[in-house]
Order: sequence, then C-alpha cells, then structure tokens
Amino acid sequence: MASNRFRTQISKDERRKRKRETLLILIIIGVVMLMTLAEYKIIHFGTDFSVSDTILMFTLTNINLLLLILVIFLVFRNLAKLLYDRRRKVMGAKLRTRLVLSFISVTLLPTTVLFLFSINFITSSIEFWFNVPVEQTLENSLRVGRRLYTYLEDHNRFFLKSIAYQISTKKLLRHRNRKELFRYIQIARGSFNLHAVEVYAVSGNAGNVQRLASDISPELTDEPSDPLSPDMFLKDMGEKNVRSVSSHIPKGELTKTIGTIPFGAVPEEAEAFVVVSALIHSDLSESLTSISKGFEQYRQIQLLKEPVQITYYIIISIVALLALFCAIWFGFHLAKSISIPIMQLVEGTRRVADGDLGFRITPAADDEIGSLLHSFNKMTRDLKFGREQLELSAKMLRQQNMEIEERRQYMEIVLRNVSTGVITLDAGGFVSTINKSAEKMLNIESESILRQSYKKLLKGQYLNIAEEITGHIALEDAVEFPLRLIIDGRPRSFMMRVNELKDDAGGHMGLVMAFDDLTELEKAQRMAAWREVARRIAHEVKNPLTPIKLSAQRLNRKYSGRLRDSVFDECTGMIIDHVDLIRNLVNEFSSFARFPTANPVPCELPPIIDETAALYREGHPNVLFEIRMPGNMPLLNLDRQQIKQVMINLVNNAIASVREQGSVTITLTRDPVSRQVRIEVADDGPGISDEDKARLFEPYFSTKKSGMGLGLTIVSSIVADHDGKIYVRDNQPKGTKFIIELPGV
Amino acid sequence: MKQKICVIFLCTLFFLQHPAFAQKARLSDITVTNTHDGLEVVYLNVKGTFTEKMREAVLSGVPTTFLFYITLQRKRRFWPNKEILSMEITHTIKYHNLKKEFVISRSWEKNKSLLVRSFREARKLMNEIHNLKIVLTPGILEKGEHYQLKAKARLSKMTLPFDLHYILFFVSLWDFETDWYVMDLTY
Repeated sequence: MASNRFRTQISKDERRKRKRETLLILIIIGVVMLMTLAEYKIIHFGTDFSVSDTILMFTLTNINLLLLILVIFLVFRNLAKLLYDRRRKVMGAKLRTRLVLSFISVTLLPTTVLFLFSINFITSSIEFWFNVPVEQTLENSLRVGRRLYTYLEDHNRFFLKSIAYQISTKKLLRHRNRKELFRYIQIARGSFNLHAVEVYAVSGNAGNVQRLASDISPELTDEPSDPLSPDMFLKDMGEKNVRSVSSHIPKGELTKTIGTIPFGAVPEEAEAFVVVSALIHSDLSESLTSISKGFEQYRQIQLLKEPVQITYYIIISIVALLALFCAIWFGFHLAKSISIPIMQLVEGTRRVADGDLGFRITPAADDEIGSLLHSFNKMTRDLKFGREQLELSAKMLRQQNMEIEERRQYMEIVLRNVSTGVITLDAGGFVSTINKSAEKMLNIESESILRQSYKKLLKGQYLNIAEEITGHIALEDAVEFPLRLIIDGRPRSFMMRVNELKDDAGGHMGLVMAFDDLTELEKAQRMAAWREVARRIAHEVKNPLTPIKLSAQRLNRKYSGRLRDSVFDECTGMIIDHVDLIRNLVNEFSSFARFPTANPVPCELPPIIDETAALYREGHPNVLFEIRMPGNMPLLNLDRQQIKQVMINLVNNAIASVREQGSVTITLTRDPVSRQVRIEVADDGPGISDEDKARLFEPYFSTKKSGMGLGLTIVSSIVADHDGKIYVRDNQPKGTKFIIELPGV
Repeated sequence: MKQKICVIFLCTLFFLQHPAFAQKARLSDITVTNTHDGLEVVYLNVKGTFTEKMREAVLSGVPTTFLFYITLQRKRRFWPNKEILSMEITHTIKYHNLKKEFVISRSWEKNKSLLVRSFREARKLMNEIHNLKIVLTPGILEKGEHYQLKAKARLSKMTLPFDLHYILFFVSLWDFETDWYVMDLTY
C-alpha cells in the first residue's frame, strides 16, 4: 500500500527521467564491456604486467575511448541534427551550417598541415636516426670481437690438436702412463702458454666424466675449476672438430675448447677429450660484451623502427582527429550559441508580430547578443505597456461610445415616442433625422426624405416658407409659427418651432424642427366656441321669436279681414314663416349646443346600418343601396341612437349628393390587427373639392342650400365621443367617401 | 535495410575474426604415456611460433620465453572436471651474436643452458617438449578412470630494450597464443 502511494507520488517526468538514466547507464556498461572485450582481443600486456596495472590500463584506455566516443557521438549527433534541420528548413539551420563549415574549414587546414608536417617530421627523424652510420661501426666492432673468439678457438684448436696427437701417439692415456700424461700436460700448458689444459675420460653414452689430468696456470689457481658436464663432450664437434664453451669468472672470460683424442674422432668413439682454456681478461671481455650488447640494442631498436613509426602515426592521427572533432564540436557549440539567440530573436519578432507581447527571451550570455536580447525584451515590454495603455484608452472610448450610443438610443426612443414631430436638418440643409410622430403627422416615410435636401423636397409656397424661416433663423435662434397643411387630403394645423443647432464654438450645425398637430385641438376649441355661440344665440334669439310670431298672427287675424290686402297677408304670412324658419334654426342651434354626451354600451352595428338603409330605400327608389358587411362582426361599445343619427346624416348627405339618381354603398370592414371597425359610406355624386373638404366638419359649412351646416359637425362630434375618427376621401371612380373608424371592444 | 546488413556484417567481423596480426600457433603431435608413478609427455610440439618478425627479434638478441600450460583433470559426468594437476613450463631463448650461438634454457630441464649454433635447432628446442615426466602422488590416478590432459602455449615474455614493450603493447605483432589442446586418456 505504502509502495503504491509512493509510486503515485512520482511524477511522470521523474519516471521518464529515471528510465532514461537507467537506459544510459545500461548503454555505458554495454559500451565499456564491448570496449574491454575488443581491447582484450587486441592488446596483450605480457605476463609481467600485474593485474592491478592491467586493470589501470584498461580503465584509462576505456576512459579515453569513452571520451573519444563521446566527442565523436556529439559531433555526429550534431551533424545529423543539422542535416535534418536543413532538410526540414528549420529557422537558423542555414546559418549554423555556414558557421560550422567555416569553423571546420578554418580548423581542417591547420590541423591537416600540422598532421602532415608531424608525420613527415617523425618519418624523416626516424629515418635520420637509423641512417646514421652506427650500424656499420657496430658491425665492424662485432666482427672484431667474433674474429677474436675465432682466433682464440683456432689458437686453442692448434694446440689442442698438437696435444691430442702427442697423447695419442705416446699412448699417454694408458693407466700406467698417467704420470707422463700429467707431466706432458704441464709441459704443454707451459710451453704453449695456455691457461689450462685438461684431459677427460668419458665412459658410456651419457656416461661418467673423469678428469684424468689437468694443469691450470697460476693465474687461475684461485678460481674454481669444476670438471665439465658429460653432455658437453657428447655433442657434435662441428667442422673444426672442436667445441668452445665460455664461462665468466672474476678475472675475465674463460674460453674452453674441447677436442677429441684422437683429434677429429666422433665424440662417441673418442678415447678421451682434451680441454684447452684461454682467458680473455676482464677488460677485454667487458668490452666485447658491451660491443655485443650495443649491437643487440641497436638491432632491436632497428627492429622497432616500424612499430615505433606506426605508434607515432596512430598517436598523431588520434590527436589530430581529436583536435578535429573537438574543433567541429566547438564549431557546433559556437554556431549554436550564435544561432540560438538569433532564432529566439526571430521567433520573438514573429510572436510579437502575431501580437504576443508577453514573449521574453532569456539571454544566455552577457555579450553583445545578450545586450540585443535585453533590448528586445525592453522593446516588447514597452510595446506591451503601450498596448495596455491603448487598450485602456480604447476601453474607455468604447465605454464612452456605449454611453453616447445609449444616450442616442434613449434620445431616439424619446423622439420616437414623443407626440411632437421632430425633424433635424444638418448644416447643408439635408434631413438627418425624423421621428415617428413626424412621419405619422406628415404621412411620409423616413427613407424617402432622409439625407435629402429640403430644397429638393419642398416645392412652391412651402419652399418659400422654408427660405423665409432660414432667413429668420439667421437672425434669431428660434422661430415659432403656425402652419396649415393639406395632408393626404385632410387639412392639418401645426404649431412649428424651428431652432438652430449650434456646437460649443457657436458654429451652425443645422436646424431642428419640432411641431405639434393642433388640428383636433383647434377643432375641439372651435366646437366649444360654436356651442357657446349657439347656446347664446338660441337663448337670445329664441325669446323674441314667440312675441314676433304671435304679434304677426295677431296682426293677420285683426287686420286681414279689415284690409283685405293680399300684400298684408303675404307679409304677415312671410313673417310667421320666417319666424318659424328662424325658430327651426334656433332649435337646431339649441340642439347642437345641448347635444348630449354619448353613452356607449355593447351593441351590434350591422342592424343599425340595415335600419338606416331601410329608412331611405322606400323613399328613394332610384338610388341603389348596396351594403357590404362581413358575417362575424363583434359587439361594439356604441350609443345606438347617436350612431344611428350619424348613419342617417351620412346617408342623407349621400342621397343629396347623388341627386336621387345613383348609388350609395355602405361597407363595413374589420381590421383584426388594429382591432378597428371601419364604416365607409360612398356615393357616386359629383364629389367635394379639396378646399371644401378642409372645412367640411366645421359648423355652418354646407354645400347644400337648405343645410345649416351642422350635420357633419354633429357626426364628427359623435364619432369623436366614441373615440373614433372620421375622414372624407374621394370615391373612386367618382363621388365622395366618408370613412369612420371605431375602436373595437 | 542495406544499412542494417552492413552493421550486422561489421559486428560479426569484429566479434568473430581474430586480429589479423595475431599469428595462428597451435599445439600438435602430443603423445602421452602412462608411467608407474604418473604420466610422461613423450612428445609435444608447438607450430607456427617463430614468424619472420620473431626470428628477426630473436636474432637481434631479444630474450624470448615461451610458456606452456599443462593441466590434468579427472573427467566427471555431471560435474565440472576435477583438476588434478596444473603446471607451467617455460622455454627461454637468447642469441649471442658475438659467438653466433643460441642459449636455450628449459624449466623442465632445470634451466640447464643448451648452446646451439643453428636457428633451426634452437627453434626445435624451443618448440618441443619430450620425455617430460609428470610425477603424481601415488594413487591419485586410478586404473580405468578417464582423464583429460589440456595443454596450451603462448609467448610469455619478449623483453624489448628501454622497456618499450610497455608502451608498444598494441604493436607487439609477434604475439601468439594457441588454443587449448585437449586429449582424453584412460589410465
């Protein structure tokens, strides 16, 4: 459990790192083992090389080889990486290649020169050493020495031959002649000036050796004179029939020459052996030995000439290669140290160009490139700061814009929803804004007039008015005036206020026109005024009418019979009639003034229309009544009596218009969207002029001779009391059309 | 694929091939007989020892020693063979250029100096062992038992002047070492 917990605590990177290290250790162990195996196969240190020295040698060799392999590995790895980068067109690969090639070229030339010079120098030096005429001298010396030994052997042989002959001839080997043998040997040694003369008898093949006689010079009496071993005698004597053996004694080298008796016999068949000794004194002997040793050493060194040369070549080659690889690796390192900051710089500029101003480069060195990187970092830092400031400013600007936009939208909403119509013109007289109320009041589409000059939009008297206002505005900041317009065939009355727009410096920015539709207000005021007039007239005029009529009737009754004058009767009759007429007039006035307030209750509209039509159908057979109604009319809040009067008035007017000959069409429609009911009463009479249309709903305006001009005023009043609207339009193709719009429930 | 084949070929060469400069020496003609107190190597010869270079070195007065290893093991079926005897024999040669003679000493002859004048004879003496008596503890060899005699020879020592053999170890071109010569015998 604990181990599991521990395992989970090790990060993935740590595990990967450990794995990599283990792999590296295994690879190094493997390489070392392989190298040791190869070295063991190649190198033999010899038996006198101790184990510790061998281990030390292997260790040193392995360390050197590992270092060499490491350098080679680094070089080839970098080389492979460079080639790969070049193929992939990695940024900076070309620069690195150029730098490495330059460095290799710079290194290769002196290294090659030095290598060739060293090889040549060593070759010529070694050749020179061995060309010195030492060998000849040594060989001559050796030849002298050899000659001396030969001479000594020949000298000994000569006397040995003589002694052997004498011994053999005189049969001195016989046992009874032993004394004579001894004497002869003494004489011979003395007379031949030999250092020793010995006679040996050998019995058997490997047999025993018996020294029969010997005589040694007094010079050698102190030296041990052991008899020779038997095998010395049994060996082949060679062409000269003698064998020489040397032994070193303190006084020099003693050369013993062995010969057979009789001389020249085969050793196995010899009767005895004579050994003649001659001493080479120590000084000469040592000289000979040194000559021999010197020659040997020279020959041995000569023998090693080639291996020494090869060794030097190998060492120089290794050093040259090492220098080359080190130089290449250093070239890579240098190229990397130059190209990496440049690549970082390139990457940095790219990132900065892409907008990443937080990018920083860590300078690896404190050199000029490091200063460059510091400058780059400072630049990006400053850029970042600048951008942050800009962003802050932009943010503030955006915020202000948003506020302005909100304010503008608010203003637009206010303008749109305000009942006053507002139109603004810019400094050039082009329409820049128009609100909904203005569109509605003037019955225009904003798209058709926006960005258009008022000079183009207005014509005739209206353009004159506009120019006049412009003139006024130049003198005063604001102008206010009433304006009457016929819009869509309807007279409208406006109160216009025109203000000049000025900027903070007082410069002209344009005009703003605000206007209110006073048509309904004026109508209501006029209606109220007329009602007051009607009430007063009715009150003031009605009172004297009764006495006038009564007085006229009284006069007629009293004086008609008396006078018998038709004129009198006509005059009184006229007075009475006109008083009636005036009474009717006053009654109408009175009814207008006292017109009751509507009391609407839900009721159906179609029966009212039907009833009205029925009233007139019988009396006007030449008039065609057409009624169009949808089947599902809803209930409306109506004062039935007043609406019926409205219908009667309108149908009456229509019949009067068609002059008993024509058609009257009553159309009832319903608009489900605006939830309004529309009543249209159309005739195909002569129609009404535009001037008359403007005053049609005013009191006492009538196109009929007998009319009081209050019918349509009353209709208008009733419709207004029902929150509806009444318009007059031209009927197509001819005639007039009255339209009433009543709100639905 | 070509690269892989090349790498495998080079590795095979490296591991299988002996270094080109190591001459192939071998033991041959080994004859062994029983004696009442042990064994006797009647004859043993090592061939391919004296190359031209080595001959040149010997004639230049380089003292040279051959080392012979001889081991005797009792054969065992399921166990490693048991070593009964292990001995080392040395043959040393030294040329005296003044007297033009070779001095050879052989350890199994109590290092008695043998003087010969011809190189052929000297080489023979260096390469051969004959009548080498191997005296063993009585009773260590059993009748009818199987034994194995192994022998091997190599250049033990070649003393260059100025101790150059320590430096020029990688150019000692005259080194040799034979394989183990194995001989099964029944006592």
